[in-house]
Amino acid sequence: MPGMAELTGDSLSASLVRAAFLAQTRWKALHTRTARAYLQYHALAASLELFKAGSVVPWVSYLFPTEILTSHGLTPMIPEVGSATLTGSDLREAVENAAARMSLARDVCSYHRTALAAVENGMLPAPTMCLGTTPLCLGKECLLEMLATRYGVPFREIRVPLPPDEGEAPPAVVAEVAEQIRELHEDIGRWTGRRPDLRRAVLLSNRAAKAWGDLMAERLAGRLELNGRKTFAIVFLGQLLWGTEAGAKDFERLLTERGRSDLVPPAFDGRRPKRLLWLHTVPHHDHAFFELMEKQGAYVVFEEMGQMHQELIDPDDPWPGLARRLTDHTLWGTSARRARLNIALAKKLRADGAIHFNHWGCRHGLGSLPVVRAAFIEAGIPFLAIDGDALARGGPNQEKALQQLESFLELL
Amino acid sequence: MPNAYYTCHLVPLGLLSTLGFTPKWLGARLPHQTTPRRDATTVHPTTCPYVTRLVAAAEALLEERPPDDVLVIAGGCDAMRRMGDLLAAYHPERTFVLAVPRASTEHDVRAFAAELVRLEQWLKERAVQTADAAATPTASATTGAAALGAPDYPSAPEPGGVFVVGGPMSDDSLLELLSTLGAKVAGLESCTFPDRWQPLATAGLDALPSDLSALAGQVLQLAICPRFSTTLRKAHLARRLEQTKASCVIYARQSFCDPGAYDALLVAELAAERGLPFLELEVGFPLEASGPLRTRVEAFLEAQLLDEDILGGDFLDDDLLGGDELLAGDLLTSQREPGHLPEPGPARSE
Repeated sequence: MPGMAELTGDSLSASLVRAAFLAQTRWKALHTRTARAYLQYHALAASLELFKAGSVVPWVSYLFPTEILTSHGLTPMIPEVGSATLTGSDLREAVENAAARMSLARDVCSYHRTALAAVENGMLPAPTMCLGTTPLCLGKECLLEMLATRYGVPFREIRVPLPPDEGEAPPAVVAEVAEQIRELHEDIGRWTGRRPDLRRAVLLSNRAAKAWGDLMAERLAGRLELNGRKTFAIVFLGQLLWGTEAGAKDFERLLTERGRSDLVPPAFDGRRPKRLLWLHTVPHHDHAFFELMEKQGAYVVFEEMGQMHQELIDPDDPWPGLARRLTDHTLWGTSARRARLNIALAKKLRADGAIHFNHWGCRHGLGSLPVVRAAFIEAGIPFLAIDGDALARGGPNQEKALQQLESFLELL
Repeated sequence: MPNAYYTCHLVPLGLLSTLGFTPKWLGARLPHQTTPRRDATTVHPTTCPYVTRLVAAAEALLEERPPDDVLVIAGGCDAMRRMGDLLAAYHPERTFVLAVPRASTEHDVRAFAAELVRLEQWLKERAVQTADAAATPTASATTGAAALGAPDYPSAPEPGGVFVVGGPMSDDSLLELLSTLGAKVAGLESCTFPDRWQPLATAGLDALPSDLSALAGQVLQLAICPRFSTTLRKAHLARRLEQTKASCVIYARQSFCDPGAYDALLVAELAAERGLPFLELEVGFPLEASGPLRTRVEAFLEAQLLDEDILGGDFLDDDLLGGDELLAGDLLTSQREPGHLPEPGPARSE
């Protein structure tokens, strides 16, 4: 594999290396023909375009409605995805060193800290615009607006009120968020001078959402079991591709057995495995947790963060549908709402237990932990919270977390 | 009157007072660290010390105080919002979480006004249950630091001194430390200090019952804190630095605070643009201006000793020097490096 530094340059040789690497990744996708491999290839191909001189680079929050970017032919730069990719590459040491030199406090979310170090040191492309959403956290809004100020580019934030603890967000709230998205879509067109085609983006997004929604429904109904650790990557990378043709085709590949052949749960030699619900993000590069689970006869049957983009959007009036994905997102709202939704999910899945990954520096995730934990205990569902860093490999916390996990699995 | 314990000065205190509650800052009512607590309300150790201690304070007060006393929590950041969620889970009838926007556009003012209407309604429902609901509120009841339990400047700020930025501060100990070390304080940006809460304390007294939009706009114009829009915050801080003619900047950042972390970067940039020395301190809540923190501030000030704008003429008379005739900088150096005594030099003329 060539170095990321060679991939992200702007020279002729970098272009050639990029072309060769993409050809290699494409060959892998063609060989395996799985949705995951194709998503990796397409996400990488789209992201590498952002490094070319003159590219429009929209830095956006994880839940941003990216269809309003693809409508203008733009690929989002999502800090969390960028950080996870870089720390999984041979630029890991370089980006970690850059982050260590940075004066930003070490106790902030490592996704955001790494992204800032990366952009300041040329490992991620500088923003042309920064676009946030109040869901899910304040930290990334601070990052995006600070970047906008530093680079002198526009910053916009879609403000989304918290949903009620029970039921859906009221229509008036949805309409207000919809109007903000509509205005922002217009602004993006004005800033870039590009002609939008939102209808096409929404139709393509719907194809992907239909496939993903069907798959999730099958999983929830117990008719299909997939490895939740691996399906997490589908949504995580998929965030870069909603509203694109490649994204639509890749998600549709999930509907075939061949297309999801690398997502099947581990084999347990006839033993009934312990099926766990995974809450919050995952450790991207640290496989020890999942290897231990497999060794102990357990696996992740479902992932909380996979629950998105399962509803179709009206192509003739896309704004309320795009807004609803934000206003009613499962991770937005109070801790009580998050607890209620996850208890219902665990019961529906008949999960043997739940694991909450306490990602370093995530205030909204960690902050909801006491309420979520209490709700699981009250519901009689075994619950474990383990501390970690989604970008770490090993490290001082890992041993303690592994011991906790081992004890938890033995108790199950 | 029943008490309304609040977490943040973004809560319009006048509104609480007008509706028959005595506003009291929760940060001034911390229980002793050893007070027993329920495990269920123990927050994660990587939560900022302010929220951690306020959860403990709220829990203790709600257990001890009459049921008419309530909590009003400004959900300005993720940690504070989650604090509200946690307390609401155990005390749903006595906890109100106020959503606070990050900017002051027309949209934000409208959204915040709607939140204030919700708060007003919630307080009214509780006020009618109390015997003192008809008590007449007065501005004086809410404007005194002592009444609120909020800290105040130990002495009036002076242009040309150290400019201090921070989140909520439990007391004036950092300012006292600067004073002890002979440095003037040019100004302070902290939500718990008078520059911030004084204008907000009376907000709401004359706004009821008709126009909460005006009150919302007033609060959002005044409350440009670290969690606020970076653009507005930057302009605000730049203005404050100019107005106070600051000579150097100290940022007292609470650990595990996202808005504080990004704000410290912003302030460091503003200081660098102006050629002002900058020091970032990690502080807790309550703030303990002793031990390592004192050493760091001393070392920082040592580098500024030649600047007459910072050090007053009484520095050499301070107890710190014990009447010694040595240069203060030399003394501080020798304290940190035992065995390396300073060379005698000419006495400094003051």
